[in-house]
Amino acid sequence: MRKSKALSALTFLAIGLFLLGLSNFVDELRVYQGAQIAVYVIAISSIILLTGYSGQISLGHGALMAIGGYAAVLSYTYWHLPVLLAFTVGALAAALGGFILGMAAARLSGPYLAGTTLALAVGLPSLANQFHILGGEGGLSFDIGEAPKWIANKTGGDFTQYKWFFWVSTVCALVTIWFIKNLLQSRFGRTWRAVRGNPSAAALSGINIGRSKVLAFTVSSALAGLAGALLAMLLGLVAPMAFTLTLSFTLVTGAVLAGVTNLAGSIVGAVVLVVIPEITDVVATHLGGSEKITANLPGLITSVLLILTVIFAPNGPKLHIRKKVHN
Amino acid sequence: MIIIDTLLIGLSSGAIYALMALALVLVWRSTRVVNFAQAGQAILSTYLGYEVMNRTHSYWISIPFAIVGGAAIAAFIDAVILRSLAKRSHKGSVSEIAPVIATLGLLGLIRSLTGMIWGNAYVQYISPLSGKGYMIGKHTIPFSPQNLIIVIGALLVMGIFATIFKFTNLGLALRAASFQPEISRLAGIRVDRIRTIGWAFAGAAGAVAGALVTPTTYLSPNSLDLLLVSGFVAAVIGGLDSLIGAVLGGLLLGVGFAFILQYIGASVTFSAAFIILIVVLFVRPRGILGSKVGRRDA
Repeated sequence: MRKSKALSALTFLAIGLFLLGLSNFVDELRVYQGAQIAVYVIAISSIILLTGYSGQISLGHGALMAIGGYAAVLSYTYWHLPVLLAFTVGALAAALGGFILGMAAARLSGPYLAGTTLALAVGLPSLANQFHILGGEGGLSFDIGEAPKWIANKTGGDFTQYKWFFWVSTVCALVTIWFIKNLLQSRFGRTWRAVRGNPSAAALSGINIGRSKVLAFTVSSALAGLAGALLAMLLGLVAPMAFTLTLSFTLVTGAVLAGVTNLAGSIVGAVVLVVIPEITDVVATHLGGSEKITANLPGLITSVLLILTVIFAPNGPKLHIRKKVHN
Repeated sequence: MIIIDTLLIGLSSGAIYALMALALVLVWRSTRVVNFAQAGQAILSTYLGYEVMNRTHSYWISIPFAIVGGAAIAAFIDAVILRSLAKRSHKGSVSEIAPVIATLGLLGLIRSLTGMIWGNAYVQYISPLSGKGYMIGKHTIPFSPQNLIIVIGALLVMGIFATIFKFTNLGLALRAASFQPEISRLAGIRVDRIRTIGWAFAGAAGAVAGALVTPTTYLSPNSLDLLLVSGFVAAVIGGLDSLIGAVLGGLLLGVGFAFILQYIGASVTFSAAFIILIVVLFVRPRGILGSKVGRRDA
């Protein structure tokens, strides 16, 4: 067991170094998209943790990301915290929000939870207009600056800000996946699976179902908050427009496409979410489609993918294939 | 005087919420799914009405088209997507939430389709009725002929539904199929078909809501998203499986929102929706008129 843990830690390290090295050889746009993918990976795996392992649904993770983003930016701007600490504040603030929401969520099931979190996703971002400190529609700007000198010097030449974004988000994403992976193998992970699989049996075995669900919601929210803070970094600002209902839906889509019980799938889901608009852009320009088509083609394709996945491979494409082989 | 004005505003928006809640409740009763695609369906049927109005230059002719279109869309969704989902559903970690996710996918699909066809820009779906409030003496009340037709239309839909559910065989079959599907099947009710009819009714109710409320604002592929949230909150206030509850919930929410708008401010309205929802779920999770089954087992 210990050996495999060391091995997996080494694997993560190797993947990380490979990705960071890779950022030297691709152009700026791809580096930025790589950073986007990393942020999506964190957000999607937070939903996989919640939905796939704890059996709760959330259409409000966009709002939790907003909490994380605003908290990070506010603490960075007003308390002058170092960036990493500001991200931590973002994650903690979202965790607090998630804890409160989770208390409500633990009493709800399926459709009620979906509707409640939906109401949060719609309601929360508009609060930014209510409080002056949150900057209203325009939001607050967020500039984490260039990479520290010692990193920039080590890697030579032009260390752009996008590359720095990529480094920060990739490291965060790897740490997140590593953390979740270990968490799911721990006592907590087992408890969540037990509750998801059979609540009554889990309760009879002495598991406190409510507490386990609230904990899952809190951890998931913290990760969503981190993703929100990173998203704010990528966009250079936090504003209500960045955390729309569409974002919440997109995350659920990514998680379902990834296969909601498959943590590694979060990478697939994230790549799909970033790549689809790219592909549809190319297709639409080749076909000479109008602006109406170009703007809506990505949404159309992700929605169709979502529906097909839910109908034909509800537990995710990967698990579905594995099952077929076994049969 | 302000209080009466606020009540009138609440009455008109509450009627719309009630229609949306009614649509959600009808689907919930027939298939145990909260249909998040309802906002999309209402948008699509309203665009159909808009298209008919552009051709015929008559708001009144366009409404029946929107209603029939809305019913047809809903029936299609249930017969094609929800049925195949139910047929293929097996035990899995997502089997419980699969229908919810499917309706979300449908919402996205309909949104992008309408965006492709009609564009994302706001368009006007105009009613010949004035949006200006009636005058009583020198005082203009915030209740226009369009508001009046909203309330009348909503009452009409509710009346028709109440009649169907209470006095017809179809209504009995609808109630039986949602109450005990297995036994209804044994009793010779074609449950699948009845469910689809329930969906069609819901689609029609949503279409009425869309066609009546849109002239007071504007039409775009996501202009009814907020209505979906209000409809859901209204349905939960009413108990999610009670039709009368949905209507009461809608009216209560409409009046509540109007007072919040009047005395606190516009920007808190949707945060208020969330807080009201949470409070209802904590204090009285089965709503005003819901059946006794708690939210935990629903």
